Amino acid sequence: MSTVQSDDRGPVVPMLECSGITMSFGGIPVLKGITFTLEPGTVTALAGENGAGKSTLMKIASGQYRPDGGQVQVRGQHLPSGNAQAAYSLGVAIVPQELASIPEMMVYENLFIGRELKNGIGILDRRAMIKAAKGYLEEFGLETDPKSRMKALPVGVRQIIEIIKATHRGARVLLLDEPTSAIAEREVARLAGIVRSLRDQGVAILFTTHKMEEIRAMADRVLVLRDGNLVSDTPLAEITDDGIVTAMIGRELDQLFPDRPDAGTKSVLEVDSLVIAPGAEPVSFTVKSGEILGLAGLVGAGRTELIECIYGIRKPVSGTVRVAGTMLKPGAPLSSIARNLAIVPEDRKGAGAVLSMSVLDNATLPRIAAFSKFGVLSGRQRRDAIGTVMKSMRLKSNGLDQHLDNLSGGNQQKVVFGRWLTGPVDALLLDEPTRGVDVGARSEIYRIITELSSAGMAVVMASSDMPEILSLSHRAFVMRELGVVGELDRAQLDSPTVQDTIFRLASGQNAAPVKDTTP
Amino acid sequence: MNTTIDTFPALQRRDWKELASGFLIRHIMVVVMLLIVAFFAYRSARFATPDNLTNILIAAAPFALIALGQTLVILTGGIDLSVGSVMAASAMAAAWTAKNAGDSPMLPLVAAVVTGLLAGSINGLIVSKFEVPPFITTLGMLTLASGIAYVIGNGAPINGLPASFGSFANTQILGLTLPVILMIIAILSLAFVMKRTNYGLRVYAIGGNRLAAEIAGVRSRNILFSVYAISGVLAGLSGLMLASRVITGAPNLGQGYELDAIAAVVIGGASLMGGRGTVWGTAIGLLLIQTINNGLDLLLVPAYWQNVIKGVIIVAAVGVDVWAARRGRR
Repeated sequence: MSTVQSDDRGPVVPMLECSGITMSFGGIPVLKGITFTLEPGTVTALAGENGAGKSTLMKIASGQYRPDGGQVQVRGQHLPSGNAQAAYSLGVAIVPQELASIPEMMVYENLFIGRELKNGIGILDRRAMIKAAKGYLEEFGLETDPKSRMKALPVGVRQIIEIIKATHRGARVLLLDEPTSAIAEREVARLAGIVRSLRDQGVAILFTTHKMEEIRAMADRVLVLRDGNLVSDTPLAEITDDGIVTAMIGRELDQLFPDRPDAGTKSVLEVDSLVIAPGAEPVSFTVKSGEILGLAGLVGAGRTELIECIYGIRKPVSGTVRVAGTMLKPGAPLSSIARNLAIVPEDRKGAGAVLSMSVLDNATLPRIAAFSKFGVLSGRQRRDAIGTVMKSMRLKSNGLDQHLDNLSGGNQQKVVFGRWLTGPVDALLLDEPTRGVDVGARSEIYRIITELSSAGMAVVMASSDMPEILSLSHRAFVMRELGVVGELDRAQLDSPTVQDTIFRLASGQNAAPVKDTTP
Repeated sequence: MNTTIDTFPALQRRDWKELASGFLIRHIMVVVMLLIVAFFAYRSARFATPDNLTNILIAAAPFALIALGQTLVILTGGIDLSVGSVMAASAMAAAWTAKNAGDSPMLPLVAAVVTGLLAGSINGLIVSKFEVPPFITTLGMLTLASGIAYVIGNGAPINGLPASFGSFANTQILGLTLPVILMIIAILSLAFVMKRTNYGLRVYAIGGNRLAAEIAGVRSRNILFSVYAISGVLAGLSGLMLASRVITGAPNLGQGYELDAIAAVVIGGASLMGGRGTVWGTAIGLLLIQTINNGLDLLLVPAYWQNVIKGVIIVAAVGVDVWAARRGRR
């Protein structure tokens, strides 16, 4: 039950009111009767696991989807269902997870697109637009040149420009879908500042997130979705972090990180003097069976590049990689697969999964030779093998023939992970294995990683998530400028000052660096 | 034991009404096709006769081969604009061989296939190795191959060919001509290849997401090369079929066929972005176009009006498909 609150300002007309929203895709109900209201000058967090229905609800509230049942009201006016234009003119704006800006156009053009300023004879008045754009940007604390190309800007800045675009067109309800999933920590703080100042101007804000710190930092109230039901609608002050997590996953999360068994002694993955790019320091290391090697560093430090060089997506300048003693052919993923090397790439949609194909076909691809005779795919055998693995991954899907574009992010990740496990894997390369994955699925993925490593796999895991590196790794490297600048053993990882050490190494502020640190 | 997928969670029961409407939506083109057939059968007494249906199949055969090749190319996210010209070049090469190499039906066949393979391989090489966009590559080949066709005939058709040149199109087995049999074999075998083989899965994978496919071990360049080569060979065979039917090599043969082939693939539900589409869809699409051609002829609709009507039907058919897909996804 949601009650319309009145502070000292008297009764308030809700900015946005959703009542009894239901929605299903392909026969699977995604939302089962959602009712909530957003009041002016409030920030509401929408929490829930992947697949809980958060994005769908956002799209309905912004008029992009037509719900099967229920209705949306904006400031007391009925929103014609499934009409994005109407929502827009009623003052509802959405900033989607994948930004809708036009990369080839300039910042001010993006800001004014669709309501360009014109002079007396109907010609574009670029000077006025640039001037106004500069004002908007400054108002939000950005020093960006309005004439810079959108694509040249960091994601965090582009996102703020999208917010500016929405609010300066008079949006009174701002929906932010996963606003922090792609931006750096420093940018999160700036975003939080902007959200707060918009709230003080009376805008109603709803954002989705996986991260507890952000709920705490920005929200006044938290809604929790689980399996299409609104399971909690509480002022933030009245709920604990554990309470939110419990509501999200429907059970107590006793331990996010499983115990870490000791590493073995057999060398499995041997990287020798690998030079990632011209001018980079050579990288050498060995990962033993059952060992998890963490790769920490800032964005752009070269973690992804290192993993891509090892696997063969990218050709290294020089150096060799061996798996269980056998040398890999550089730049040839097929030879890496044949040597039982597996990868879970950072960019799930761009590099991990073929979204237009089924679970079955995606899981067939890397081990296609094992599922076919004379080039003809087997029927029963591959279905059985893949079905068994996907069951052990606890994949939630409408059978193996469901296409990946109908699955949630966490479930897509399980397919990208699980497709390797129909055959032997000696070494596993993970690049941000839990990016965009919610708490519940996250602990499952940690469980899987730990189980695989304790079964003898050598694991290399690049991650920007500090607790992940600290809790899962036996050993960690810190990378900077395409090279390894520090190695931390288990004792160092347990030290209370470890985060500070890693940050200093990663940002090049270490007291005794060997390298020249001119930026 | 059936141990596969029934144990997955989140599977919801669907009632039969939803299933039935889902079936109709998924096979909307079949429905459209039946409506068009019913219309022609109602308006013309000659339409639904065995002779006329055979005529439709005969007219469809050369067109089917290039549409099938086009399907593979489009599934990878590419396009092959050169097939019409490659048909002409192959037909001219075959006719020239027949004229100069004596009375053997085999040599012209080899000439046509080799010409098609060569043109397709050049397309494939340029697209896969040098990464020139397929649209540009095959647009160049369209012009080049058409030029070659005229060069071979010195700007004129090649006439006076030995009778054996006609055996390719006019031999009958079990009441069906060779091209019709070839069409049926090509559709069945390609449908099998795309659905049940490694090769087919890889074609879909690189069309759906090339980078992800490469990471999963697909050698995307080889696959890309192969689809253009296959499209070329099929265009070569198709050109020979057309030339053999009239026992003449004409350098303007096959002109504009590429657009009908692309239309057939798209009517069949394929996405020009790649990754989506089926051989069966293309088969329906090309039969649809041929049926319209044939039916309008029988109704004595003037040729220019036929093009107008065909254009409207192509866009309308795809429009219905897009509408159905959107409803299906909901």
